[in-house]
Amino acid sequence: MPSDPLILGFDTSAAHCAAVLLCGDTVLADAHEEMTKGQAERLIPMLEQVLTQAGAGWGDLAALGVGIGPGNFTGVRISVSAARGLALGLGIPAVGVSALEAQVFGLPGVTVSSLDARRDALYVQVFEMGAPHFPVLCDMASLPPIPARAAPSCIGHMNQEIAARCAGHAKAAALPMAEAIARIAGQRMHNDTLKRPAPLYLRGADAAPPRAAPPVILS
Amino acid sequence: MTTALTILGLESSCDDTAAAVVRQTGASAGDILSSVVFGQVELHAAFGGVVPELAARAHTEKLDHAVEAALDKAGVSLAEIDAIAVTAGPGLIGGVLSGVMCAKGLAAATGKPLIGVNHLAGHALTPRLTERLEFPYLMLLVSGGHCQFLIAHGPDDFIRLGGTIDDAPGEAFDKTAKLLGLPQPGGPSVEMAALRGDATAFSFPRPLLDRAGCDMSFSGLKTALLRARDAVVAENGGLGEQARADLCASFQAAVADVLAEKSRRALTEYLAGNPTRAAFAVAGGVAANQTIRAALQAVATEAGAEFSAPPLALCTDNAAMIAWAGIELFRLGHRSDMTLSARPRWPLDRSSPAMLGSGKRGAKA
Repeated sequence: MPSDPLILGFDTSAAHCAAVLLCGDTVLADAHEEMTKGQAERLIPMLEQVLTQAGAGWGDLAALGVGIGPGNFTGVRISVSAARGLALGLGIPAVGVSALEAQVFGLPGVTVSSLDARRDALYVQVFEMGAPHFPVLCDMASLPPIPARAAPSCIGHMNQEIAARCAGHAKAAALPMAEAIARIAGQRMHNDTLKRPAPLYLRGADAAPPRAAPPVILS
Repeated sequence: MTTALTILGLESSCDDTAAAVVRQTGASAGDILSSVVFGQVELHAAFGGVVPELAARAHTEKLDHAVEAALDKAGVSLAEIDAIAVTAGPGLIGGVLSGVMCAKGLAAATGKPLIGVNHLAGHALTPRLTERLEFPYLMLLVSGGHCQFLIAHGPDDFIRLGGTIDDAPGEAFDKTAKLLGLPQPGGPSVEMAALRGDATAFSFPRPLLDRAGCDMSFSGLKTALLRARDAVVAENGGLGEQARADLCASFQAAVADVLAEKSRRALTEYLAGNPTRAAFAVAGGVAANQTIRAALQAVATEAGAEFSAPPLALCTDNAAMIAWAGIELFRLGHRSDMTLSARPRWPLDRSSPAMLGSGKRGAKA
């Protein structure tokens, strides 16, 4: 009997570096380190460490799952760039998975996922079977509409405050981030419409057009 | 030194996403099997300069495509590559980081060696890629972000004679274009406008010519240009085409004069070391400017040194130069491991005192 495909999931979208090697639903090896910087130096050695722990090599992998944020722009790019290089080098799919989605993976019913977006803002997405909702950048005064009488599970940053506003329940994520990412990747790795992983920023780049207008050109 | 080496190079330190495959057979010059550059001019056009965050976002989603295109054009598979070279600095950190991570992913996946390359070494070694110039040669690196004189003694051995103490000339060209309502990038548009202008119409300063040595300054020139423009606008209620052309020509002449005179001094210093085959090479985007190039060539000829300027596509940022620098460093035994860092600052000459950004984060270049 062929064994389940090996999937390597990893994430550096917040102040951590995390990886998990999954075979079907079984975690073969994992690692999680809190860090505010140094993910670029740590990520690949950590992935190699996780593979070695499970007695596996790069060539054994069937797919990659990578966290695409929203979160720290640089952190997200570290993982997404590495995933794209690895996917090209290994000839296997890399599945980009949103942190908002990974956070509520495995929880039943309607869920509200939130992450700290700094500057008193949040990244929020409502998940409801059969009804797509987009992720948004908002604050507590501009939360997206939450389906009435859904009694949603609220997970993540400010979840108690959010639950209080929508008659929901504050809960914790069912799985560690990297594991949820790997599981979702396992479900999507064969999708025909799978695109290369791309960061989910939700917030624009701080860029302003030049203040000084060019001179009037006389013709 | 007789084996063929084929190296994949990645470059993403500013606003060009590039990948290339270069092969060296024996001790010959390099053979560029492919060199792919995806520019970002339109992305930054509205902002009057490169926006680092926008550049980083674009690099992240373009690098792997650039690598695929370069391998495809070269007709080479990843398995046939001997090593992967990547710009690891100096430059805009977000872009450099994307390149370094993509290269690490490729190297880990294929088991090929990884080589972190200094972007400036890429420019400085280009004359060896194209003409197999012999060490030691004098190098003027002049671009949008850099301006320095270096004596190249080896692929990893550079002595800096001097450089700009503030802006780089390419930056000054961009700012000039912005002040005069010309499109970005400023280099080509100012050069084009200058063709119809009188280079003696405005008298701009030639900063630091009165001082010994090879150091340069270009920020005052930009201020002088702004004042001259404002005077013209105040007098005529706007800027006429002819006045704009004259401003461009006068500005360009000032930059050319400063670079030529400082090159003369750098050549004197370099020739004092009695190089076997005296050569003066230029690289960087500003070396594409015909007026500047001609002025530098004249200085080289007058000093009896061979003049080398790479073709335009190898003057501006590209990955062929990174792949080539990778070949030279690989032959010296250089290898990077998976903890390779992206460095916003990384001076080529590690012994001379820092010129720019000598604060706690260290020298920029």
